[in-house]
Amino acid sequence: MIQGSSTFIHVGQIHIDHAPRAISTVLGSCVAVCLYDCSLGIGGMNHYLLPFWNGNGLQTPKFGNISIPKLIEQMILRGATSKTLEAKIFGGASMNSMAGDSMMIGEKNILVAKEILKEYKIPIIAEDIGGQNGRKIQFNLDRGKVLMKYTTRIDLTQRG
Amino acid sequence: MQNKTHNEVEFLSRKILDLNKQLIESQSAKSRFLSLVANELNNPMTALLGLIPHLKPQDMEKEKVYNLVHEEALMLEFRIQNLVAAAQIESGEYDLSFATVNVTTLLNEALEALKYIILNRNISVSVTNTINDNIVSDPQKLFLIMHNLISNASLFGDANTQIEIHLSDKNNRLQIEVKNQGSGPNVAFKPQVFTRFSSDTSGLHGLGLGLSVVRSICELLEGDIDFICQDNFVIFTVTLPLETNATDTMACGSNEFLFDSFEDAIEL
Repeated sequence: MIQGSSTFIHVGQIHIDHAPRAISTVLGSCVAVCLYDCSLGIGGMNHYLLPFWNGNGLQTPKFGNISIPKLIEQMILRGATSKTLEAKIFGGASMNSMAGDSMMIGEKNILVAKEILKEYKIPIIAEDIGGQNGRKIQFNLDRGKVLMKYTTRIDLTQRG
Repeated sequence: MQNKTHNEVEFLSRKILDLNKQLIESQSAKSRFLSLVANELNNPMTALLGLIPHLKPQDMEKEKVYNLVHEEALMLEFRIQNLVAAAQIESGEYDLSFATVNVTTLLNEALEALKYIILNRNISVSVTNTINDNIVSDPQKLFLIMHNLISNASLFGDANTQIEIHLSDKNNRLQIEVKNQGSGPNVAFKPQVFTRFSSDTSGLHGLGLGLSVVRSICELLEGDIDFICQDNFVIFTVTLPLETNATDTMACGSNEFLFDSFEDAIEL
């Protein structure tokens, strides 16, 4: 059930919003970190494609190690503190299981999220990661709950 | 065996994360500066460009000075737009806003903004456009792509030559081709050409910001950019998704997958 309005975010986007709005996205090997501050009723979500920015090109938030700190910074700017923030992480599926996922993009994306959140001392209170299915998620900011549905392979040919 | 590989990947990934952190720190000062400069410069510049045309004199002598001022202001505006775009892309606040766009109008605006350079370098521009319908795209970003490509062609191409601009529908994608005469960037250094602030091998090609911005916009719009250099011609080609009907009809439920309900969803 979609209540209020939902903002759909694409790869490389970061969105912060407040209750009763919602943020949604669709993930394959990409990962989305959802941060929620229950005392303020604000939450933010990112959606990144690759784990590391490698020094080439712009530091865009399509890289985990750029996107996650930016998401945290933006939440802190709105008054959240690392003590009140809670995280939920989704995605990181291995989408090329047939060919043998030698790059392990999904796994690396998950690892980056866990490492960076650990560093900022933000607890991960829920996760649904890995596997071979894509996910569609909707982060409802009234209670900070995430609704998730698995997707079929065909849906994800164009998704991160 | 698989477990061993897994552990190794995990170990190496942690290592990369650490190294990248140092890299990011060294870059962050530059990013902050970029963002600050961009915002501080943008507003007065916009006002200035709005006011300058009101000062157009009747007197021929004064008109020369007026033209020089206008040219420099347009150039400054263009550079600020690139800086603003680069800063926004880095901060993740570069959102797309789609609208119905007439590509000919956008192209003419880009040519108008570059009229002094084109005139001074005695460059003639030939345009072929086979896109007759209005398309759906982000006008501001499409404009910045065209502005950068044509600006590069007119600044770095040979003087007294012709620039050819082709807008076409190629396999249902919008293709923007800008061809100029002259020696282009070295094809062997392609990745660097699209990397900001990387000094070109010849050292002649500006800040190196424009093309990195164009590449990022292309990525954002799900398109791409490439260039070839042959027989003393440089051709830059941008391809973007071509949508001719309004997107809001799509958003009203024709895409079941994205817009269906979350009934029966797992709550976490």
